[in-house]
Amino acid sequence: MAWIDKQKNILDFTLSSLLRRKGKNAALVCVYTVVVFVLASIMFFTHAIKKEAMIILKDAPEVLVQRMVAGRHDLIDMKYADEIKKITGVTSAEGRLWGYYYDPLFRANYTLMVPPEFKYQQGEIAVGQGVSRSAVTEEGNIMPFFGMDGKLTSFRIRELLSSESELVTSDLVIMSEQDFRELFGIPKNRVTDLAVTVGNPQEVVTIANKIKKQFPDTRPIIREEIIRTYDTLFDWRSGIMLVVFSGALLAFIIFSWDKASGLSAEERKEIGILKATGWETADVILMKFWEGTVISLTSFLTGMIFAYVHVFFSSAALFEPVLKGWAVLYPQFRLVPYINAYQVATLFFLTVVPYTTATIVPTWRAAIVDPDSVMRT
Amino acid sequence: MIVLESVKKVFNQGRPNELVAVADASLSIDASKVTVLKGPSGSGKTTLLSIIGCMTRPTAGRIHLGDREITSLPERFLTAVRGETFGFIFQQFNLIRGITALENVMIPAYPKGERYGILKGRAMGLLAMFNLADKSASKAEWLSGGEAQRVAIARALINNPSILIADEPTAHLDTKLSGEFMEIMAGLHRQGRTIIIASHDPVVYESSLINRTVEMRDGRIVQ
Amino acid sequence: MIYLAVVFVQSAIAAVLAVHAMTAIKAAGPRLERENSVVSDLKLTDLCLFTEARYTRHPAMADRNTAFQDYPFSFEHFPSGSLIPVPEIVRK
Repeated sequence: MAWIDKQKNILDFTLSSLLRRKGKNAALVCVYTVVVFVLASIMFFTHAIKKEAMIILKDAPEVLVQRMVAGRHDLIDMKYADEIKKITGVTSAEGRLWGYYYDPLFRANYTLMVPPEFKYQQGEIAVGQGVSRSAVTEEGNIMPFFGMDGKLTSFRIRELLSSESELVTSDLVIMSEQDFRELFGIPKNRVTDLAVTVGNPQEVVTIANKIKKQFPDTRPIIREEIIRTYDTLFDWRSGIMLVVFSGALLAFIIFSWDKASGLSAEERKEIGILKATGWETADVILMKFWEGTVISLTSFLTGMIFAYVHVFFSSAALFEPVLKGWAVLYPQFRLVPYINAYQVATLFFLTVVPYTTATIVPTWRAAIVDPDSVMRT
Repeated sequence: MIVLESVKKVFNQGRPNELVAVADASLSIDASKVTVLKGPSGSGKTTLLSIIGCMTRPTAGRIHLGDREITSLPERFLTAVRGETFGFIFQQFNLIRGITALENVMIPAYPKGERYGILKGRAMGLLAMFNLADKSASKAEWLSGGEAQRVAIARALINNPSILIADEPTAHLDTKLSGEFMEIMAGLHRQGRTIIIASHDPVVYESSLINRTVEMRDGRIVQ
Repeated sequence: MIYLAVVFVQSAIAAVLAVHAMTAIKAAGPRLERENSVVSDLKLTDLCLFTEARYTRHPAMADRNTAFQDYPFSFEHFPSGSLIPVPEIVRK
């Protein structure tokens, strides 16, 4: 009990001495909180989106076969599909028809796509939420598209794709096969690429190799690679994240340096008084430990809470300009709050522990001076 | 009760600025008495006082506190002995600025692990004893000289020490306040505490309260 | 005491958020399943996050054969280029 009361008393004293330098300490806590907030936001966002991508894309086509011509992705003949179907282990090989369309009116890029089964008539389309937002249109409206011959073709919007699937369908325009072929002038026997299904998942790689061997002008992409792409896509250590992180680290080094060298004469004198009135060196260090803990723990918790709210309630509103880039069309989605406990622990040890240590070390040097120094001044 | 045997204190030993603050002092201080160390500034009073109060170790010599030899005790134990036995009143009062008078009084007791409520009660009691109850919430720097002095005394008493050490306590007080200070000391003496004061103020060393005067000059005890 | 209360409140909020995370993950199950079926019905391969270039719209379809246009090495093209590392398939 005495131990707890001692901690409580010293913590109490620490807090009232922190309150003396309200402005300085408040600024410290603010900057610290912002650092934790930015780091935690990035962490939450990337982890959640990676996890979500993995879950959503686990039903993507097993193998996709693209044809390459002069180093570029080209249309593929359906004859390839017939041949691929003959490979043992392949259950089906279906053509996919899709492409991009630049809408000069709204300066946005759409992805046009033909589904395996189109529910509506020719001349009718279904569009994603992002398309309807950027083209300011809704169900029942007419949407014009410039065809390959430069003529305008109008389509009636029959459906808006659900907003909950926006993360994958935001920029989609879904139309019938006939419309798609007419719009872009694609011959009957040609498709964009082939989606191949394989009976035994363990044979996927072998079959992809067989396809590559049999058709050297093709490029098979297997689902595992698609998912892995998304795993590395938002890799925590990559790109701007790293830049932000090193900035935060730098800020920490500055803090620590300030703390390590910045034990002011007044603080030194106070430590002298404490020692002269009977505090042990260990008690002084304990006080400084509490000081570091109070500041870093408060900032850590506040930063984490704000980051959580920011990423999962406001859909990382502050990152949107960066994520959006030059895109006109941006999906609105709310991430599922997948949180990696290991990452949270890492962040804790990267922020709270170094800060507390940086607070204690210079104190230790000051605390070992003779207590009679106060009497001599 | 306190016995000093050939105590010597040298600062910056072996360097050009070597300073012998106390040279060969032997002294015996009786319990429950008021002793004054008298002498001009620079005579080694403060240094001797901090040696007696276990604040600093002598360069040579031995100190006995009761029946314990304390010069050879490790730092931790020395701090513990100091905390239990001595209460200090400094020349500059050495109150911590920015926190309240009450908190200043409580400081020496924080590491003892006493329940906060009880400790606060005791501190308030001490402040009330010195007519400072209404100043308990005032910040240390807002107190007048006399009030700061009394807060410093209250702080020295919070751990209920048997020996009270005061270094030039009246240096920053006028004659009236100095007289009040000596009255407070008289009260504490009546409670049976040992009081050791270093001073060159006649108000102190000519006071009727003093049982013994030890005169110092150039780091030596003259009589 | 006030500080302890603040820490307590913060911890409580953190705990509430943790519970929120768990329930939200559970609640998201059916939605993710529906999204799964959209992906398999339409045979989709990518998340629709960046719509400024082919390689950012369909990073999984980026290829190692095309030297310039589809190669997501071009950091300077778009801000999102700095978010997208070269896909594994291209790096191999």
